[in-house]
This record gives sequence, structure tokens and C-alpha cells, in this order.
Amino acid sequence: MINHYAALIKREFWEHRSIWITPVAISTIVTLGVLTMLMFVSGFAKELDLAIFGAQNIASDNERQAALTGFFLGTSWVFLLALGFLTGFYCLDSLYAERKDKSILFWRSLPVTDAETVISKLMTALVVIPIVAVLGIIATHIINLIVTSIWVASKGGNAGTLIWGSVPLLDNWAAAFIVTLAGAVWMSPFIGWFLFISAYAKRMPLLLAFMPIFVIPMLEGIFLRSSVFAETVLGRGGLPLFRSMDFDAMFEEEQWRVSEDVASLLNHIDIVKFLTTPSLWAGIIVCGLFVTAAIYVRRYRDDS
Amino acid sequence: MTSLVNARGVSKKFGAVRAVDNVSFEIEKGKILGLIGPNGAGKTTLLKAVLGLTDCEGDLSVLGFDPFRQRKQLMQNICFIADVAVLPRWIKVSQILDYVEAIHPNFSRARVEELLLQTNVRSNAKVKELSKGMVTQLHLSIIMAIDAKLLVLDEPTLGLDILFRKEFYANLLNDYFDEERTILITTHQVEEIENLLTDVMFINDGKILLDSSMDALSDTYVEVMASGEGAQKARGLGPIAETEMFGKSVMLFEGVSREHFEGLGEIRIPSVTDLFVAKIKEARK
Repeated sequence: MINHYAALIKREFWEHRSIWITPVAISTIVTLGVLTMLMFVSGFAKELDLAIFGAQNIASDNERQAALTGFFLGTSWVFLLALGFLTGFYCLDSLYAERKDKSILFWRSLPVTDAETVISKLMTALVVIPIVAVLGIIATHIINLIVTSIWVASKGGNAGTLIWGSVPLLDNWAAAFIVTLAGAVWMSPFIGWFLFISAYAKRMPLLLAFMPIFVIPMLEGIFLRSSVFAETVLGRGGLPLFRSMDFDAMFEEEQWRVSEDVASLLNHIDIVKFLTTPSLWAGIIVCGLFVTAAIYVRRYRDDS
Repeated sequence: MTSLVNARGVSKKFGAVRAVDNVSFEIEKGKILGLIGPNGAGKTTLLKAVLGLTDCEGDLSVLGFDPFRQRKQLMQNICFIADVAVLPRWIKVSQILDYVEAIHPNFSRARVEELLLQTNVRSNAKVKELSKGMVTQLHLSIIMAIDAKLLVLDEPTLGLDILFRKEFYANLLNDYFDEERTILITTHQVEEIENLLTDVMFINDGKILLDSSMDALSDTYVEVMASGEGAQKARGLGPIAETEMFGKSVMLFEGVSREHFEGLGEIRIPSVTDLFVAKIKEARK
């Protein structure tokens, strides 16, 4: 049984290689960026009062913490943004590609139900891609902390306390995991919609998926003079998971200082608030409806 | 009961068109049934109904399952190759074997690897790098490594050259078929398969024109090639079809016993192709 589902998920990795190529590419770019920056900074030696992740004699503990937290948030943000786009394209392609390359009848000649197939794709978007993203985030941090440690050590600093000991890494990684997973669930109505369009579209799924998102608010504005759709659907940007959405407040007025209680990103997360937000559950129901529709379309459609 | 497929009053409509029109038949275990019909006769639709790929009206049971509603259970015991069921181009040979091995309870990895050794298909190649013939060899090897009760082949050799086609059917008969298995096959190249078949079914406009075993066929149908007076007498016995060949008349009779034709001309068993053409013409009158 486990093998059965593992094989379905493995198929997604083989077919949609961007799922793992994207994180590797981002990680490489970030690392190259950090390397360039370190070389640049070391060229200025002591004049520059911003040792990125801190040579001992320049940055204070607090500044170093702020820099590391900034780096952490920045890289995570890049990953989340990229993986968000990736998830959208993946969902739109996942049930469309097998019809386009006419392999759908081969897949359907095997003992796998249409529900299992569609759900394996939903799970890939909802769980697997977020996990890959978090692994990418963690790997990027580790690689870059190692690179920075070598740099710090070469300046005579103690990388163990200066770099590895200055921010709660495990807390932050746990936070990244929760945010990524919660983000995917929060966006699940879009995931469901894209899967449905992917199963339904005869051609141009991308256009078909985005058209209503632009056309409906326009029509609503003209005929009803309201903006309910725009507010509920497009206004779904903010993830109701944080105690405060004000990230600027995390850093104290004097730049590159981060107050003690916010050093752990885990402290910003409010899971109860997230789980008690009604629109989260409304979104999950919408996702379920679209996924059910996608299963029915794959099952009943006969266009081979 | 030994009947694997049991259809009673099966119909499938596309709008106003009845692709399959109130069809009833049975397929018994250990048979090789050829389903033969012109383009648009409803063959593929009927096969899809049998495979649970499309919904239909009427009672249809395959291996005791309702194919459309129990497709997963059915697919554990059925295999099919359709000319339209192409293998995904992006997949590697080793990946497709891994996948089928994990998904299919009746699949033998050892068997498929043994079969692939006899071909030029390498396990690290991608499907898109293989020729059409090799892709079919791969697909057939996978199918033959699955211990299935019913094998459905829909135009399996379309687009393949004659060497591959011969090999395909030879493999099928020698390495796959036994009395525990049943094969349902459709093709346009009737001559190639008529010697393999144990049973034959003609379908036209969604209706079954003929459903018979090959043995019964040679008892029921007689082809007489005659000229002059012989032809005249034979014609009096009511042929269902008549064609001219080398100045002689070739007539096809249904249900007229052979002794009536003694001395009238050359008596032969009609080919399935000739019979098919005659039946279709008869139906279109």
C-alpha cells in the first residue's frame, strides 16, 4: 500500500523534474551570491561596519543576529516565492500533460483509480513540494553557514559561537516548515482550481486558469459595482499565521538589531489563530470541491 | 461459468449517435476473439466499455466486475495495448518498470527483464529515444510479464513494419497464450490474425453482424469458385455475395451444406476478410 502511493509520488518527481531542479538552482544562486558578498566585504576589511554574518571584532552579537535572521528570512522568501510559482505551473500541467502526450490510456491501463491519481497530484502540491522547499531552505542555510564559518575562522573568529550559536537554527527551521506547509494549505483553493483546469482544459490551461481571476472582478465591478470576488479571492494573499504581520517591527529602529524575543522566528507563529480562521476552512472545502470535479473529469472524459 | 465477459443489451450513445447499439455477447476463457469492423463501427467504444474506460448502458460484467465502477480491481487482471495508449515519452525504461512493479500485484520484474534482453531496448534509455517498434516491444514485454486473465489488444501493430508484426504475434502465441488466458483483439489487418483466432465477431454500426467460433465458420460458410453452367447452378442456391475473379464467379454461401456444390466448381473455406466484406455489404443493403 505504501509502495503503491510512493510509486505515484515518484512518478511526479520523474515527470516534473522542476520540483527538485528549482530548489537546487535557487540554493546554488544564493550560495554564489553569498560567496561574492563575502569576497566583496573582505576587500573592504574593517572599514565596513557590516560584516555580513560577523567577524568577531566588528559586529555586536545583536547586529550579527539581525544579519543572520535577515539572511534567513530573505532566502526563505525566495524559496517560497519560487516554489509558489512552481506549484501553480505544476498543478496546471499535472493532469494536462498526460492527455497532451496521449499517455493517459497507458496510465489508466494500470490498477490505479482516477481518485488515487488526482490525489497523488494534490498531495505533491500540498505536501511534497513544501517539504522539498523546506529541505532546500535548510540545505541552503547549512551550506552558507559553513561557507561563512570558513570566512569567519579565516579572520580569526570562533565560528561555533559567532555563527552557529547566535540564532536558534532549529526553531527557525521548524518555523520555515510550518509557514511553508500552512502557506500551501492556505492557498489550497487555488491548487484545487488549477488541478481542475488541468484536468478540464482542452488547450491553454494557463490562460483558462487565469482568465476568470481577471474577468470576474471586472464584470462584477461593471454590473454589480462591488468587489466581493476580488476581496475574497485575490485578497487571500496574507497568511493569517503570524502574531503581527509587521516584519519591520522585528528589527529595532537602529538598523541591524533584532530584539531578543524575536530572534526565534517560531515566536511569531500563532497556529491557533491560523486554525481558527474561518476562511482557511472555507478554502479547504473549495479545494475539495475542485479536486472532486477534477477526479470526475478524468474519469468520465473520453477524448482519446 | 467460464465466461469472462458477459454483455447483455450494452449500448453507448454519443449524442444522437449509437456507437454501440444493444449488443449482447459472451467471451469464454481460453479463447482468442477477433473483433472486426470498419472504421467507426463501434469497436473501440465497445473495448473501452469492457476496459471500464467509458460508462455504458445495459449489463456488462468482466471477470465478474462492473468495469466502469471497479476499474482498479479489473485492471489487476486485465492488460491492454491500444494504438492510442502510448507510453509517456519522458520516462526511462527502468522507471516504467519500477512503476509497474510497485503498482501491479501480478507483475514479474524478472520476466520482463528476461523478455527485454531479447530486444534492443536498454533499461537506461528514455522512451523518446526508442523507435516505434522498440516502444511496442517494451509495451508488449511489460504486458507479457503481467499475469492477467484477459488481454485486450486494440490495433496493437498499427504503424509497425511487417517484421515486427510477425514477431509480435509469434511472441504472443508462443510466450503468452495458454488455456488460462483469453485474448480480445481488434485490427484492420485481418489476414494477419485470422489463423490465430479461435472466435470471431463482426461489428458494424454498433451492431454485431456475426459471432461465431472459427470452426463453426467453416461449417456454415462455403466459398465456391465456378464458371459457366456450374456458376449458374450455384447461383440458384442463393449466394450472399458474388464477385468476379479471373473470369470466374466467386460465390459465398451461408448455411448451405457442401455436398450441394459437388461438381459445380472449386469449393473453399472463405477467408475471414471475404466473409467480412460480404457481411458488411449485406448489412448495408
